[in-house]
Amino acid sequence: MKIRIRLVYELGGPLLLIALVALVGSMMSIAQQANVINILVTATIVIGLYVFIGNSGVMSFGQISFVAVAAFAAGILTSPVAIRSTTMPQLFHFLAVTKISNLESLLLGALLGAVFALLTGLVLMRLSGLAAGIATFAVLEITYDVITYWNKIGPGARTLALVPVSTGLSVSAIGCGIAVLAAFLYQHTRSCRLLRASREDISAARGIGVSVFRQRLVAFTLSGAIAGFGGALFVHELGSIQSSQVYIDLTFTTLAMLVVGGSGSLWGATVGGIGFGIVDVFLRNAENGVALGSLHLSIPSGTSTIILGAFMVAVLILLPRGVTGSRECLERFSMKRFSKAVRLDDQDVPRKP
Amino acid sequence: MAFLRGLEHGSREGGSASTESPSLSDDLVCNQVTVGFAGVLALDRVNISVNRGEVVGLIGPNGAGKTTLVNAITGFAPVTSGSIHLSGRDITHMQPNQRAQLGLSRTFQHGHLFSGLSVRENVELGALAVGLSQSKAKVLVDELLEKLELVRLAHLPVAQLSHGDQQRVSVARAAAAKPAFLLLDEPAAGLPEGSLDELEWVIREAITDSGAGVLIIDHNVEFVLRMSNRVVVLDYGEVIAEGPADIIRADVNVMSAYLGEAGVPEEVEQTFEKTDQL
Repeated sequence: MKIRIRLVYELGGPLLLIALVALVGSMMSIAQQANVINILVTATIVIGLYVFIGNSGVMSFGQISFVAVAAFAAGILTSPVAIRSTTMPQLFHFLAVTKISNLESLLLGALLGAVFALLTGLVLMRLSGLAAGIATFAVLEITYDVITYWNKIGPGARTLALVPVSTGLSVSAIGCGIAVLAAFLYQHTRSCRLLRASREDISAARGIGVSVFRQRLVAFTLSGAIAGFGGALFVHELGSIQSSQVYIDLTFTTLAMLVVGGSGSLWGATVGGIGFGIVDVFLRNAENGVALGSLHLSIPSGTSTIILGAFMVAVLILLPRGVTGSRECLERFSMKRFSKAVRLDDQDVPRKP
Repeated sequence: MAFLRGLEHGSREGGSASTESPSLSDDLVCNQVTVGFAGVLALDRVNISVNRGEVVGLIGPNGAGKTTLVNAITGFAPVTSGSIHLSGRDITHMQPNQRAQLGLSRTFQHGHLFSGLSVRENVELGALAVGLSQSKAKVLVDELLEKLELVRLAHLPVAQLSHGDQQRVSVARAAAAKPAFLLLDEPAAGLPEGSLDELEWVIREAITDSGAGVLIIDHNVEFVLRMSNRVVVLDYGEVIAEGPADIIRADVNVMSAYLGEAGVPEEVEQTFEKTDQL
């Protein structure tokens, strides 16, 4: 019974937080809603990162590659066919003539993200530690360069415009909820439990029979699917996209969100994605001047990045496991109660022989 | 010199000679296994075999190569030459996880438990890792926790447990894989003398159903001798004696390895002279 209640907290906590953010967003102006939508879409990508980084303990800088590939594919294939020949004259023929719906593009984004992650993972998942981090960063670099300079697959360095906008408040909340559900279901599979064992102690995991490569590959592929799904939501939120929007800045921001929230739990990823997003939006607004009741707050341009960087350093020093302690929602509460109960039961228990 | 010849004869009586290859029909067989690190031979042409249902003790002074042998068998130390067979199958170059899947389960000298996870999760992982479904693993682990009296600790993180309880969890996790062979690396390390009976009981309970063969190494020689059907003694990476505990207990080679030549007591010498006459 206790375990079932924990599962309800574990899934219900993040879903409730998303619903709450969407509800508050629905009461805001259209301009402010755009910020809330962006927070939810970014949180979806953060949850994608969590599925691999959080469960495996391996740092990856490459997940935004999957966001980028999915965003451009979804954007191109949903944009009006008539304008592609003028804005992207060198496109491959099937990219120039194929048209899909926005919903289909979300599924395509997830599929492309998964396939791309699977292919790169076949090589990268044999690495650990610094080597894995550098190699995934190389994937990000290569992807960025290919998208920016290869005109046969996209607009190159120019902006991909006229992408139909469909990621509103409800779609972004549902999308984020789907990502949470996928991550929740995955983290209760046998595969994820074995992966987490390798995160705790890789030698012991191999010693009991865990194929670390295989379990990492599964997580990397699912992470790619969620990141790709987030990428498709992203392009349909903005209505246009440039390769620089899915590169270093987004990589740094989403990783910071994951680390600040607590990379070891789904609750940490959700809280990090949403909480960090709210602070980020507030600070960016403050750069343009924001009213706080009777106060008018205005900070110099660029201050938000400095404050967020300092905030991240402070969290890493004071709370190395993130603001949630990398625990699931209300886990600390239920563990404390249970530990206390066990200690009380533990008195004078006879032992064999 | 007659005394030394007697010793050599006595030390080979109990099992297969260290220079002769054991039969490949034995279940777990190390055949002329050599392991070298940076020019130093940690194991030198070691032959050892363990049958199903048998408890084999492996003893030797510090640096004799005991843990290296367990690491070589389980794939954590690369074998320079020789071969390792499991039920007739050559596993010499397999990865540790592949060997575990084939029925080799081990504990580690320094625990290597998943410290952030609970006792139940640790033991369950032992079963999940060899392919059991989550529902089957749960049933198996329920039985095992009950049998090894770990139920009351099941939901505690292992980091909160005493050293003795961690050893118990370590054995339970290895046993959850229903292994064909269980390799125990220093299970009694750090345990008070009074806890050894309990540990022996835990190990025997853990293998009751599976009938696993056990290779146990420990610095506590008395504990190993008491548990084992057969004992192998390593010194400087070589097998110097092999046989039943009674023979090993009186083997002057073994005494010499542990205490040095000067430490061989007179009564042990006499024991071997008697053995030689028989």
